[in-house]
Amino acid sequence: MDSEDLIARLAADARPVRRVPPPVVSTLVWLAAAAAVVGAVVAWSGFRHDLPQRLATGVDLPQMILAGVAGVAAGFAAFQLALPDRDPRWAWLPVPPALGWVATMGWGCVQESLAVGPAAFVPGVSVPCLVFIVALGLPLTLCGGFLARHAAGFRPTPVAALIGLSAACFASIGLTLVHHLDAAATVLVWHGLAVALVSLAAARVGPQPMRAA
Amino acid sequence: MSAAERDLTDARWSALMASAQDGDARAYETLLREVLPLLRAICRARLRDPSDAEDAVQDALLTLHRVRATYDPSRPFRPWLSAIAERRALDRGRSRGRRLARETGIEDAAGIAAPTRGADTSAADAQLRRAVADLPPAQRTALSLTKIEDLPLTEAAARSGMSVGALKVATHRAIRTLRRRLGLPD
Repeated sequence: MDSEDLIARLAADARPVRRVPPPVVSTLVWLAAAAAVVGAVVAWSGFRHDLPQRLATGVDLPQMILAGVAGVAAGFAAFQLALPDRDPRWAWLPVPPALGWVATMGWGCVQESLAVGPAAFVPGVSVPCLVFIVALGLPLTLCGGFLARHAAGFRPTPVAALIGLSAACFASIGLTLVHHLDAAATVLVWHGLAVALVSLAAARVGPQPMRAA
Repeated sequence: MSAAERDLTDARWSALMASAQDGDARAYETLLREVLPLLRAICRARLRDPSDAEDAVQDALLTLHRVRATYDPSRPFRPWLSAIAERRALDRGRSRGRRLARETGIEDAAGIAAPTRGADTSAADAQLRRAVADLPPAQRTALSLTKIEDLPLTEAAARSGMSVGALKVATHRAIRTLRRRLGLPD
């Protein structure tokens, strides 16, 4: 079949389509969905008992703020990249806040080392952190992937990865609100590992449900 | 083309695309025919082989159709269209590179005896080509990507815009249709 025949066939299939909303609108819908899901899980689990002290001493607040900024930036970048005419450099948007987030956790390790010595850099094992972020992050990623399903025909992999990163950041905030964990190195390793895992899984398998949606 | 003419063309294409999004088949066909030379120019600038370039043009048309809801009529049309064509040309170039890496050079294959091609073989070839050309577009695309280009299913799905499941079904149906048309048992 030549291209002219293909054009005739495509034109014959010109059903009306609903225009994709602008990235700002899609991001707001995504944030509302993520906040509802994470909020429901936090409400169900209950806040960690030492949350007021942790927030008052300023230990967890910068981490949560930077995780939130990284989550919003990753979501907004995903909805930008989901449109063909947008600059692919949007993919870099969440990198500074994500690095800042990792840096605050690293700084927490340094501060702890002043109190307890080099042992502060040895991470403990916290499988529940991993399970919580993955178990919450993957369904959230599916929800975000549905909102960005129009990217399936163009660049689904980076869009899915960014949605996964965004979902994992929000899941990490939820975890910080419910799970008692003091050791900064443990938080750094297990939150970081879980967020990386969700982002990679989203990039690897995310495009398929997006195409099917 | 002057900048003013270019702006006028862009505005016209943008309006046609907006109508196409509302289901106006005539506007859509007019638009696709008008942008075809631009798609060809972009793909030919990226791909030296003319048949690869034309395949990339068709990939771009299929992608345009699939993602037509992503066009925002308040923005210029040309960058949206060009991004799609550039992307599909790049994909086609990559898959060609992988295909060439798997193929044996003609010099290396000189020792392999070529089969004698008689009139029967030519007639069978022509019959097969006709049967493939008559397949519905989705089946032909699926067959071309999965069996002729031999792409992995995930890549073929990305290229065609179909899900992996739909691609498998379309390929299966294409082969069944071909067998039936060529008088072969299922």
